[in-house]
Amino acid sequence: MQHLLSYLIFLPLLAAGVSLIIPANQKNYFRSIALLVSAIQAIIMILITLQYQHHGGIQLTERIPWILMELGQWGKLKAEYFVALDGLSFPMVALSVGIMAIAVISSWTIKENEKGYFILLLILNGAIIGSFCALDFLLFYVFFEFMLLPMYFLIGIWGGPRREYASIKFFLYTLLGSILILIVIIGLYISVKDPYSGNELVHTFNVLLMQNPENIIHESILSVNVDNQLGPFSFRLWAFLLLFIGFAIKLPAVPVHTWLPDAHVEAPTPISVILAALLLKFGGYGLLRFAYPIFPDGAIYFSWLVGFVGVVSIIYGALNALSSKDLKRLIAYSSVSHMGFVLLGLASITVEGISGAIYQMVSHGIISAMLFIIAGVLYDRTHDRLIANYSGLASKMKIFTGFVLVAFFASLGLPGFAGFIGEVMILFGAFLSEKSNGLIPIWMAITATFGLLLGAGYYLWTIQRMFYGPFSVKVPDVELNDLDRREYIMLLPLSMAALFFGIIPQPLLDFINPFAQEFVETLFRSASFINP
Amino acid sequence: MNEQLQHIYESIGWLIPEVIITISVMVMIILHLLVKNKYLVLKSFALITYGIAILLLLRDTPSKPTILFDGMMRVDEFSTYFKMLFFIGGVLGTWMYHPENKESAAEYLLLLQAIVFGSCLLVSTTNFIVVLLSLELISLSSYLLAGFGFDKKSAEGSLKYFLFGSVATACMIYGLSILYGLAGTLDFSSDTFVESLIELSSPLLLIGGLLTLAGLLFKISAVPFHLWAPDVYESAPTSAVAFISVVPKLAGIALIIRFTLAINLFGQSGYNWQLIMAVVSILSILIGNLSALSQKNPKRMLAYSSVAHAGFLMVGLVSFGMDGIHFILFYSAVFLAMNFLVFHALQQFEDAIGPVHDSLLAGLGGTYLIPSIAILVGLVSLTGLPPTAGFTGKFLIFGSLWGSFQQRGDWLLLTLFVIGLLNTVVSLFFYLKIPYYLFIKEKKGITGKTKNDWTGNLLNLILVIVLFYLFISPGGLMGWINKITFVL
Repeated sequence: MQHLLSYLIFLPLLAAGVSLIIPANQKNYFRSIALLVSAIQAIIMILITLQYQHHGGIQLTERIPWILMELGQWGKLKAEYFVALDGLSFPMVALSVGIMAIAVISSWTIKENEKGYFILLLILNGAIIGSFCALDFLLFYVFFEFMLLPMYFLIGIWGGPRREYASIKFFLYTLLGSILILIVIIGLYISVKDPYSGNELVHTFNVLLMQNPENIIHESILSVNVDNQLGPFSFRLWAFLLLFIGFAIKLPAVPVHTWLPDAHVEAPTPISVILAALLLKFGGYGLLRFAYPIFPDGAIYFSWLVGFVGVVSIIYGALNALSSKDLKRLIAYSSVSHMGFVLLGLASITVEGISGAIYQMVSHGIISAMLFIIAGVLYDRTHDRLIANYSGLASKMKIFTGFVLVAFFASLGLPGFAGFIGEVMILFGAFLSEKSNGLIPIWMAITATFGLLLGAGYYLWTIQRMFYGPFSVKVPDVELNDLDRREYIMLLPLSMAALFFGIIPQPLLDFINPFAQEFVETLFRSASFINP
Repeated sequence: MNEQLQHIYESIGWLIPEVIITISVMVMIILHLLVKNKYLVLKSFALITYGIAILLLLRDTPSKPTILFDGMMRVDEFSTYFKMLFFIGGVLGTWMYHPENKESAAEYLLLLQAIVFGSCLLVSTTNFIVVLLSLELISLSSYLLAGFGFDKKSAEGSLKYFLFGSVATACMIYGLSILYGLAGTLDFSSDTFVESLIELSSPLLLIGGLLTLAGLLFKISAVPFHLWAPDVYESAPTSAVAFISVVPKLAGIALIIRFTLAINLFGQSGYNWQLIMAVVSILSILIGNLSALSQKNPKRMLAYSSVAHAGFLMVGLVSFGMDGIHFILFYSAVFLAMNFLVFHALQQFEDAIGPVHDSLLAGLGGTYLIPSIAILVGLVSLTGLPPTAGFTGKFLIFGSLWGSFQQRGDWLLLTLFVIGLLNTVVSLFFYLKIPYYLFIKEKKGITGKTKNDWTGNLLNLILVIVLFYLFISPGGLMGWINKITFVL
């Protein structure tokens, strides 16, 4: 089968177009279309999995010329529709397909303006998968930006009481990040030439070509051998720094994380799920795909900074979670803490650390989706999220409590759950780093371990406060029914996935490991080419 | 004598589209007196005129620069491209016009044509006298157009525009006379102009150049000559504002390109004109965007946004290279489409609920879905986000600026680059305000007339498609632009 990735990307966009034509009063159609799209996407994903071979390179490649433009004195500009999968993007795309299906099911409760909602959700679906597949920097950027507007409206129209503030804050922060990324894209495309274009000078956005330092034009500012200084750093280091900040906003890392708690608290449940499980992953994905391989010198030079930001995020996020009174806010801060581990793994630039970072992204995707659905289940029944207002829920909602325990223990990194594997691999990498490549000091790894401890602290405390003790709910007139069938359908596969990847990590590692090995090897090779 | 007559005859041959517009102006005055159902007849007549002019322009595209009227005028691909944009602007401006009081249709439509005619002259001359004449033609018609609301506010706006404009013109005349005195020629593209100024290190050159630029910067409402814009934009009828904010501005940009490159004397001027343009550009972007933040009236907000866009257009000039100019041409076309789209959708709201204020738009997104989506696309494009042509335009212009920085290593260019791009974030905040009120704010209970405005929605659709098309495949238009060789 050809063009599987394109089907995956454009099917939801096509479905959004179809939904646009259907009159708004046919409410049930919109849900069904969205669900049908997710089902077809799942089938396509299975076909893709069958075709996929475990090696480090890219596969399922599709390349079509998109823009080829004469630029006068500097040759040509070339952008392609270039999508492919490798060991980094495969897990992300698979995760996206799964999470989008869950989000659609979770959206069943949306009762106003279904047409607009599901159209935006479908656009978001296509844009997310598109950005994970794109290997052309411009194409990536277009998909990446294309996510913002639907997300803004989804939070802004269907969100909670402070949704207006939260949505604009989300948009401004993320746009600031993407402008920083755009600055680097502009600098890069002028600095990179396509080696396969003969004598003609063709500037390309092809990420794989950008990753090879030999393709960088000698006289350009981002050139490896010209010593262009701006203040304390060279331009290459600045470019890495801009990409790092841009993606750190998305991740989010402390101190640019403040949009996240607001956005999460105000967003409706399905959107929180997408935000936590998928959109945050673009931070780590962007660093792994663009910042690190294109600027390996920057990655090595700033590894201390990246690690430090990671450790601060782990500890600061955990401490904030500990003091959160709102359940969704607690989960949001726990996300900050867990994404800090991704940064730490990246900073170590060891095979263990990188594999762990990708593994952590996948496991956090699964677990955070569960956590937000749990918060949503409670909110749907009581319209209240304050932890202090609940007590002894275990006696009334037994099955729900079971799922909560799975999710909380998975998130705090109990062995046997997916979160454990990722975090342990990251910590291995971080401990190894000082001896093997000397990039990050050992105290960072030690401090990060305390993050695990704090994580256990806030989750166990929350369980104790909310689920045990005498039953009381300080919200008038509520009936606390246990899970209904729809909620079952969402939570069961997620908890099974969290368990499966915790007990049998090998199937996922088969995808990730070859990529991580080649990633680390290439990175050090390019770095030694740049600074011999 | 015969030879001269022959030359004049041949020269007129190149200006047939303009001649047609001029004839149409006169015919419209007569039609106004004779015809009963003036509005429809005149509107269709004007549209047909523009159509013929566009066709003739396409037929007679000059392959190489041609001097007309003994150097008073010139036609080249550069001016042809801009003429094309002006005619399209004329079509859109005429299409948008649908007043309550249809009596004054003739005056309105012929003023539009006069501005189009003046703009065509302005882009096809390098002679100071013709510059002045065509600039005055544009200005006087614009003053009248600004007063077309026929109320106190509109009159005030028009008067302010007139007063500011007169001062700007006076400055410009003073500057031109200084330059004429120094160079001894009126033609700023001639060798004499360059030769006599190159050896000169008199501060008068700077003063003359700056005063001349002042008149031009006024036309494109760049900082510090932008003060008229908010008042005029607020008080004039929306269709007139849409037109004024695009056609004279692009004409001004075209002449600024020619004039700055001339006064820069191929880089041999004793004064750093690149610096001056960079400062104006930075200030326009900064002040335009920051002032727009606090505006509550969409038209005032768009006035400041248009100040900022004057800055963005000039970014392409600051790089002082051929590709920068090419990208200005590309962005000009995009600017035309997106500005008309936004103003047109705004006019549809005005038709429905009367004078528009941000808070009045609350919750109307569902009721007026097509205009709301149109304005959303237009504003996203003005912000410069994909998937609209506004992104492509900004991307290319800032790309050329980076290239120029790479060659010269001038810190000012890097500053402009960073400030310009970061301003996108600032601009998002105010551009998003309108969609925010439309879609997110709760409805306040204001319901306007619902009218099935299919011609308006057709125009929305066309402009939206143009903005998407130029994003998905900019190669076509850029291919045409790339063939344009710019000679002074």
